[in-house]
Amino acid sequence: MSKIQNLELLVVGGGPAGLSAALAAANYGIKVSLSEEREFLGGQLIKQTHRFFGSEKEYAGTRGIDILKKLIDEVNKNNNIEVLLSSRVLGIYEDNIVTILNDHKMKKYYPQSIIFATGASEKFLAFENNDLPGIFGAGAVQTLMNVYGVLPATNVLMIGSGNIGLIVSYQLLQAGVKVAAIVEAAPKIGGYSVHASKLRRLGVPILTSHTIKKAIGKEKVEGAVICELDSNWNEVKGTEQLIKCDAICLSVGLTPLVDLLKQRKVKTTYVSELGGYVPLRDENMETSIKNLFVAGDVSGIEEATAAMIEGQIAGLSVAKRIGKNSKDEIEERIEEAKNELELLRSGPVGKKIRKGLSKLGLNHGKNYNEKFSEEALDISHLMKTGVPSEENLKNKLPSEEKVFDKGPIAISECFQRFPCDPCVKSCLFNAISENANINNIPYVDFEKCTGCGICVSKCPGLAMFVIHKNFSETTSVVIMPYEFLPRPHKGEIVKVFDREGKYLCDGKVIRILDGKFQDKTAAVSIEIPKEYYLQARNFKVEEGNHG
Amino acid sequence: MRIQNHPILSFNRGNQIKFYYNGKELIGYEGETIAAALYANGVFKFSESKKLHRPRGIFCAIGHCSSCLMTVDGVPNVRTCITPLKDGMRIESENIGVEINE
Repeated sequence: MSKIQNLELLVVGGGPAGLSAALAAANYGIKVSLSEEREFLGGQLIKQTHRFFGSEKEYAGTRGIDILKKLIDEVNKNNNIEVLLSSRVLGIYEDNIVTILNDHKMKKYYPQSIIFATGASEKFLAFENNDLPGIFGAGAVQTLMNVYGVLPATNVLMIGSGNIGLIVSYQLLQAGVKVAAIVEAAPKIGGYSVHASKLRRLGVPILTSHTIKKAIGKEKVEGAVICELDSNWNEVKGTEQLIKCDAICLSVGLTPLVDLLKQRKVKTTYVSELGGYVPLRDENMETSIKNLFVAGDVSGIEEATAAMIEGQIAGLSVAKRIGKNSKDEIEERIEEAKNELELLRSGPVGKKIRKGLSKLGLNHGKNYNEKFSEEALDISHLMKTGVPSEENLKNKLPSEEKVFDKGPIAISECFQRFPCDPCVKSCLFNAISENANINNIPYVDFEKCTGCGICVSKCPGLAMFVIHKNFSETTSVVIMPYEFLPRPHKGEIVKVFDREGKYLCDGKVIRILDGKFQDKTAAVSIEIPKEYYLQARNFKVEEGNHG
Repeated sequence: MRIQNHPILSFNRGNQIKFYYNGKELIGYEGETIAAALYANGVFKFSESKKLHRPRGIFCAIGHCSSCLMTVDGVPNVRTCITPLKDGMRIESENIGVEINE
């Protein structure tokens, strides 16, 4: 009979929350066993090729895959962490005995404390033929193309315009896949406006108040029928249209994976704002059962940055409970992490999370400043279409046209309040300010700005541009971010597009910043006829121009 | 169906290995999952549903949805999306032509 192994802390799940939890506890001397079902660590971070939002302290501006490398590196260096790969937690019993399956062998463990960081699974959607091959969860498409380098399809219809739907659509384009359209049942876009704007510039339609009726195809997806929805979410008769596509990608939300928690009879409750059934827990991430903690999406669906901070709080709480010293220091760090989490959730996009948490009886937000809970600008048109209104644009442009006469200046096309600061932090001249709150909209001080273009590569939303209106008598130069193949060459003529992806004019590539610093977000200077300097926001390099 | 050049990522594929899909020899790479290797070979229908024999393929690709179950080296109901491909593996579709008694 196999012996039962004693553990100090078992962390279940090697994603961003689990890795952060393991590190936080291990750094205070706790012996941690980190159990991961797959043969590698990382959870969903492994396929996040985009730069993260949030605060610089939690790696904002860094791509998810690079954040993961840093976390794994730290875990591997830490002697207090034992990583159990290909290890599936099968059960947890009333006496807290945990069974883990590895290489067809079941082992028993008795941990003093457990942190569940089991993540989430994707929600499904009811429509005719929704079981056809070629209908994927958005995460599956990301896994295939970003982890294994396998193309999921050639032309994808995306259902859902939350951040995942928008980000995966952009990643599909980067992999060379066409996105036929993004369909959103709500009357407004669910994710961040900057993600939506990127897609519109690239010519992808975003159809709000639309839904999918059925998938077409026998053995595999060949198309989809979509239709319009009225303000009561009812189908508008006669609006059906056939969209040709060879895959349909569903990004209609996530739901916490609480199965193991339920097995142990941890109290759960249904909170729609947090994605479904979530465990009851306190502010230190401890569940209704003592020494059982949660972190990340399993405790409520949120962004990866929040998952990492929750992991820290859970790990530190365990360290405080079973550690022998440094308790005051740990307490201080827990408070710091809580404040950071509060800051992340303090803007308008955090409203839903705050509402969900309040249903759990959590008093998060006692310090929330209502000033930051509402949008600063009227962005209704932007959130419906992905394209900023004239009013929005005016708000971010210099108030006087003559400011353009001083030379190149950075223009921020970021109009929505959400927690993000890489543009502010990247500017060497302190020319970009958010007025002391990470949720505020950044504004450029045109006096201080030199038009260097560093922010163009650093903004995770690709919303920074540099405009040199009077480059010559007849031409202007716009520096635009570029994350596609093929890369342009100096002197090359490219097609230039506006914010809706409409062709404007041809432009000439006059400078390319594409080094280590830009980290694959090139800042490309395009010379265009002067009349287009306020419209030109995207360009395409034609395949085959490269000999 | 494999990405050769990508603006952000580079794919360090492992050694080429042989495997069998319903008896047919295919090529995959060490380090990828069975599902990824099949999909890269143009196989989108993995199995059939038990009762109505509807085609089944990848849905979630992270081991949660059971849409990609296949018989691998004689073991039924393997989650092919999270099971690493091994040299010489025999992968069979499930429920094809199998009638169940009500």
